[in-house]
Amino acid sequence: MEIIAGFSHGLMVALQPENLLYCFIGVTLGTFIGVLPGIGSMAAIAMILPLTFYLEPTSALVMIAGVYYGAEYGGSIASILMNIPGTPSSSITCIDGYPMARQGRAGVALFASAIASFGGGMIGMVVMAVLAPVLAQLALNFGPTEYFAVILLGLVAASAVSNGSPVKGVAMVVAGLMLGTIGVDITTGAERFTMGIPELRDGVSLVIVAMGLFGVGELIVSIKANASGAHQNRIDYAQFYPTRAEWKAMVAPILRGGGIGSFFGALPGTGQTVASAVAYAVEKKLSPARARFGQGAVEGVAVPESANNSATQTAFIPTLTLGVPGSASMALVIGALMIHGIVPGPRLLVDHSDLFWGLVASFLIGNILLLILNIPLIGLWVRLLQIPYKYLYPTIIVLICVGVYSINNNVFDVWLTLAFGWAGYLMRLFRFEPAPLLIGFVLGPMMEEQLRRAMLLSRGDAGVFLTRPISGVLIVLTVVLLVWSILSALRAKRRVRAAMRSAE
Amino acid sequence: MSFRAATALTLAAALMGSTALAEPGAWSDEPVRIVVTFPPGGTSDLIARILAQYFESEFGQRAVVDNRPGAGGTVAADYVAQQDPDGTTLILGNNAPFTIAPTQFDSLPYDPMAGFTHIAYLGASTPALYVQPTMGIATLDDFIAYANENGITYGSSGVGSITHILGQAVDSALGIEQIHVPYQGSAPAIQDFRAGVLESYYDMLAQNRDLINDGETLPLALAAPARSPLFPQIPTFRELGYDVVIENWTGLSGPAGMDPETVQTIHDTVEAIMAMQPVVDQLAQWGITHTAMTSEEFTGFVGGTIETWRPLILSANVNGG
Repeated sequence: MEIIAGFSHGLMVALQPENLLYCFIGVTLGTFIGVLPGIGSMAAIAMILPLTFYLEPTSALVMIAGVYYGAEYGGSIASILMNIPGTPSSSITCIDGYPMARQGRAGVALFASAIASFGGGMIGMVVMAVLAPVLAQLALNFGPTEYFAVILLGLVAASAVSNGSPVKGVAMVVAGLMLGTIGVDITTGAERFTMGIPELRDGVSLVIVAMGLFGVGELIVSIKANASGAHQNRIDYAQFYPTRAEWKAMVAPILRGGGIGSFFGALPGTGQTVASAVAYAVEKKLSPARARFGQGAVEGVAVPESANNSATQTAFIPTLTLGVPGSASMALVIGALMIHGIVPGPRLLVDHSDLFWGLVASFLIGNILLLILNIPLIGLWVRLLQIPYKYLYPTIIVLICVGVYSINNNVFDVWLTLAFGWAGYLMRLFRFEPAPLLIGFVLGPMMEEQLRRAMLLSRGDAGVFLTRPISGVLIVLTVVLLVWSILSALRAKRRVRAAMRSAE
Repeated sequence: MSFRAATALTLAAALMGSTALAEPGAWSDEPVRIVVTFPPGGTSDLIARILAQYFESEFGQRAVVDNRPGAGGTVAADYVAQQDPDGTTLILGNNAPFTIAPTQFDSLPYDPMAGFTHIAYLGASTPALYVQPTMGIATLDDFIAYANENGITYGSSGVGSITHILGQAVDSALGIEQIHVPYQGSAPAIQDFRAGVLESYYDMLAQNRDLINDGETLPLALAAPARSPLFPQIPTFRELGYDVVIENWTGLSGPAGMDPETVQTIHDTVEAIMAMQPVVDQLAQWGITHTAMTSEEFTGFVGGTIETWRPLILSANVNGG
């Protein structure tokens, strides 16, 4: 009852003309920023931060949140159309989205992504309204041991993302883990693989790796393909609306993706990229259409989009109730509140319930606005593909460079992105997939940090991973998943062999 | 001499005097960039944004904030040291690039003293030692006894960070040996503390206000020269007989070789802003205490911190090469 009262009060706050306007500005800005490769929500929020000093705290928060989840909507657009993720978390959307575009089904893919984002957003909103105190408590029960266990589970689940040879997939995960060790070791302060370059002391940024491997790499491949006389993508204008079967196929993936996304979003630090990767991997194990994953399955677009959008909503739970920002964008949210004298923390829900419920209700309004904004725009986005490549490609390269530069205002990062672009091109030549590398890169450093911290806190006793209940359960789940995958792989092999024998 | 001539002379003298003594006001037609060593959103960034806002609204000096995070602030410091010393590029400096880095790194691309013009001191916040309220520790003496008997873990905001250096200073002053658990920033450390896996931590006072009031964390001692107006009941280490003072300072500096008159103008403008009531209130909210210092005093202060912190940084063994 309390929740319904709170929510309806929040709706009143969010529907005030002023808040409605800032919500609209936020989601519109977010969508367009998200489309631009390399420029993520963080750059956009940093730009509007000075403006928020003059706003009511609720309006400021509503607008920042709008940019944040609007960017996740927009991020999928370039992923689907050009295989260039607008935001790192939409790299996963590339896997099925781009093949759909190649088949002339870009419109359907964009529609599916918009609907899935909406579904995920709604799930995230309900979770935040109903479970915020519970999830905050859960996040508090997650010490380093539990984090290590959940990341291990995520890594094992994500190793399934690869479509090609499993050996190459594992090789890419390991390459990602190795890339992640670059920079100052968090536990000892020693520099690892920095080669004396100060810019590498903080490691390689996720945006650089994602933009280089996926974005620049894809451009080089396309230029080569074009030079050899390939045609521009086929576009079917008539077909934007998913078929009945496609609608049906999307429901379960959206629900599962939203659930998984809400969980990872509420754990500070893991974020949308992990949420969409794990959701995709789980779906690839469960979906009846799993055989088509990677070749343009509409489910493969819906799952990561639902997951990353629900994660963007629940990411506000630890930020507001624990004061722990999971990402640079969330740190900006804390900054915007601090300037208004609001300290995020356990008492925010009580002391500033207006703010909390206004934000939750604005998720509903913002997501509806995004849907209204994005569905008519699909036609426009798809037409982007008709821009001649000689204009489109240089524009994208410039946008990527500007976006990467804007993270740290440092030219070194631009060169590094171009280097990763060549690496991405070479990987594609030899049929290595970038997605597992990205997942290893995101999860590896987190896993190492939590493992070493857990060992420091237990004073060297590795038994804690099994004796603490949450981590114990997670470790058992990981082992079960691992055994199950190996067994099913063996069984498949035996079946193939038996079929061959009977054919002889 | 007629009365009129005398008046004219006095006026002329007054005018001359006022040109020698800089007035707060704009010092450049170009917009001034305030380089911040952190990404947007933290206290340091917000101070820079307040300065930029007041430079423009009160004194007509256009100013923008330029975030250049990386490598413990050394990327930003290196960048500023190489800019023209015309007063259009300033850095919001702090202990990371100016106090800690000179000892932590064998080779720095810049000289923290000769490479800069240190202009104005903005203020400092002070960290305290916090323990779990359920551990039966009520005083610093209890803490020492507990640490000697069982050993104790403490969370810091990172290797080589101010809270790590403070942990090291406490080790040597109190004659104990704590187990250091580094985090990336103080927020995740506090999260683990609240989860009950961390026994103690060091952090600034203002950020812990709610937790202290709710009795979720117990501050034992403050590493400041005097008690804080936020929580006057918390004793300082010094009062308790241990000489541990570690302050998280912030100041404004520019490249070496700036014109003394520009330096004076910037200094006086900053001091004028720091005296304005809304700014005073905002800084008090964040637990930052401002003390007036001349540019010379501030330069001496920066140099002094390098020397007093050196043995602590060396004993923390955080050499980054």
